[in-house]
Amino acid sequence: MAETVGVISTYQTDYRSQHPDVTFVEQAQQAAVGALHAGNMRPDDVDAVVFSLAPTNFMGVADADRWAIDYIFGAGKPMFRVHTGGATGGSAVHAAYSLVRAGTFRIVMVIGAERIAETPDAQAVLNTIFDLFYERDMPLSTNTSVALQASAYMQRHGITQEDLAQAVVRQRWNALRHPQAHLKGEITVGDVMASPMISYPLKLYDICPRSSGSAAMIVGNVEALDSFQSRPAFLNGIGSVTGTYWVGDRLSPTADIDYAEMSLTDFSGAACFRRADIKDPVKEIQVVELYDPYSLVGYVQLERLGFCPRGKAARLDSEGFWDLDGGQVAVNPSGGTLCSNPIAITGLARCIDAANQVMGTAGGIQVHGVRNALATAVGGISQFHNVTIFGEDHVPDREEV
Amino acid sequence: MTKVYVVGVATHEPSSAIRGSRLEEMVYRTARAALDDAGVSRRQIDNVTIAACDEFDGRPISSMLLSGPAGAYLVDEIKVTDDGAMGLCLGLSRIQSGDFDLGLVASWSKTSKTDVESIMNNRAEPFFTRPLGMNMSIANGLFAQAVAEEFGVTEDEATTRVVDAYERASANSRGMNHSVPTTDEVRSSPFEATPLREGHNAPITDGAVCLVLASEQWLHRHPGHEALARVAGVGWATDSYRLDRERLRSMSSARAAWDRALADAGVSGSDLGAVEIDTPTSYHEAAYARTFDIDGAALSPAGSTFAQHPLFCSGLVNAAEAILQAAGRAGPVQKAATRWTAAHSCHGFAQQGNVAMVFEGSHNG
Repeated sequence: MAETVGVISTYQTDYRSQHPDVTFVEQAQQAAVGALHAGNMRPDDVDAVVFSLAPTNFMGVADADRWAIDYIFGAGKPMFRVHTGGATGGSAVHAAYSLVRAGTFRIVMVIGAERIAETPDAQAVLNTIFDLFYERDMPLSTNTSVALQASAYMQRHGITQEDLAQAVVRQRWNALRHPQAHLKGEITVGDVMASPMISYPLKLYDICPRSSGSAAMIVGNVEALDSFQSRPAFLNGIGSVTGTYWVGDRLSPTADIDYAEMSLTDFSGAACFRRADIKDPVKEIQVVELYDPYSLVGYVQLERLGFCPRGKAARLDSEGFWDLDGGQVAVNPSGGTLCSNPIAITGLARCIDAANQVMGTAGGIQVHGVRNALATAVGGISQFHNVTIFGEDHVPDREEV
Repeated sequence: MTKVYVVGVATHEPSSAIRGSRLEEMVYRTARAALDDAGVSRRQIDNVTIAACDEFDGRPISSMLLSGPAGAYLVDEIKVTDDGAMGLCLGLSRIQSGDFDLGLVASWSKTSKTDVESIMNNRAEPFFTRPLGMNMSIANGLFAQAVAEEFGVTEDEATTRVVDAYERASANSRGMNHSVPTTDEVRSSPFEATPLREGHNAPITDGAVCLVLASEQWLHRHPGHEALARVAGVGWATDSYRLDRERLRSMSSARAAWDRALADAGVSGSDLGAVEIDTPTSYHEAAYARTFDIDGAALSPAGSTFAQHPLFCSGLVNAAEAILQAAGRAGPVQKAATRWTAAHSCHGFAQQGNVAMVFEGSHNG
């Protein structure tokens, strides 16, 4: 029988453009120490480490995870690095979950750090992820590829730029209460509309910042939870899926995946909901932490995950449906990826913000009465998508019932 | 804990430089061959674990391009970046967790397209070791110095081990079939990083390897499929990043990984009929043979890295060879009594990380 897995502790540093006061490894150490302190644990309590690190090109040290080993108390322990692009943090949590659930280890630390500002132009690095022969010269970049997606989505559903801007307004407002958030503030739809156009219909404020920071989550089995955490967030479900590399292969009417609508989410969402026994997400999930580096991306995921009908998420936003206070489902109380995007650990941060809500440790952004919280991560131009559900109660496997 | 079996295995034909195929084609062919070996279709697998290195592959997030050729389309896929054998460790846990039933583990290495030593130098932290010019050769040299002192490894032993390894490798039809050097040729080869001579190194090749893993429940539901071997135990550990003498001579992560794998399998080293040990140089073989207390007939009968040495996935190739031994399918390098076999992988500067894997065969060798 598989082990029950729960979150023991979490920690995040502040997310900023740069952390010139510390090196990468010191930054990682801050997260390790923070998570250990939060769990009232010692380094020897951790059996294994999963390092969350996306492309190393941003920082220019190809073995940065191994450089960090001594600083995160990993020397002598089993450790590996997970890397699935923007989805890395979510994948790393899934890997740690599997290691504990399989009974391989009792306690695993998921940890990572990001220093994207070490490169003078992260966009230049990201431009090289596209296919060299056909798609790179379009020219596709992370901005233009999502702009194409947004244009198609808006045309299909009659959504305006002002509709999309609501996500930015809501989340920067939420982020005012999240001490670690990078961008925050009281802004208006007009402010978003007035920000510089980057790639139609995306303006500067529709797009996430480049953030640096570090984060860690410690997960364990029942024995570990008994020792270190009286109110864990149980990892009740995971779902992950990989689609095609080619954006062009997601645009035709007969494509398996609809690029504009991010229908890849259907697969990861269904797998996660099945494992977590979620049948009606709006009724059963109180908090959603979405990987949304662009204003559009949160809305499409809400729709594909079944929180509302297609084309309705932005309209429901205007009715306060996704508000932190008084909404039906609190969407990105942390401010989400629109406010902080340390790529290597963004998915981990989403999981931490969701787990904290279940554990009642979310501080100023705590939502009342959270029984289940969901986190997502997206990588590789929406090629990788994963979903994780944290619950107040453990959901038994079928053979346990 | 769910038992996990290997039901398919494939290695790509190695070469010092595979020029006729793009990396995507190499990966596709190897994944296809492993699925065919298992007698399953791509649509039947429910997860893929990739072990690959962006820097060697020459692109950030290389799994964007290569997940498709590796069979990961509309399934749960994850990637580790340490070395190929780590993919087996995570792939194993994913099935043992009960969330998955049938998975593919894929790894590859086409370093003929890259400047390996520049990448290795870029792996060094930027403040101290990188400006010193740290790279793979120098790290291996430091390792060789340390283990020579710790274990009393002489140049004669290192030379003899090279010749013996090439001899064993020459019988491996899945290997490069390198010519076997004479001891004089090895001994007179130029120094690369004292005490390492060029002749002590296993020549780096291109290559790829895939395994298909199945849960015992899947095998029960599909009685027409036969297991090649059970993955009986795995262990992995990582040492300090420091390259000082104490760390290099301690072999502590190798010992920890080995002990965990044997304990999980419930066997001792003397039970193992064949152990493919990752040996970037013959000094590595000398050190690991002592650390694991494996030598003689059981030591790397397939020739390990001297048969083929795809840098990133050599450890998983070793696993494939050990599985074939356990299944009685190792061909010309098959040992007689091989119920229990093992494989080893090392990675990072001066073998900072180690992985050990133990397999149980079902044939009566």
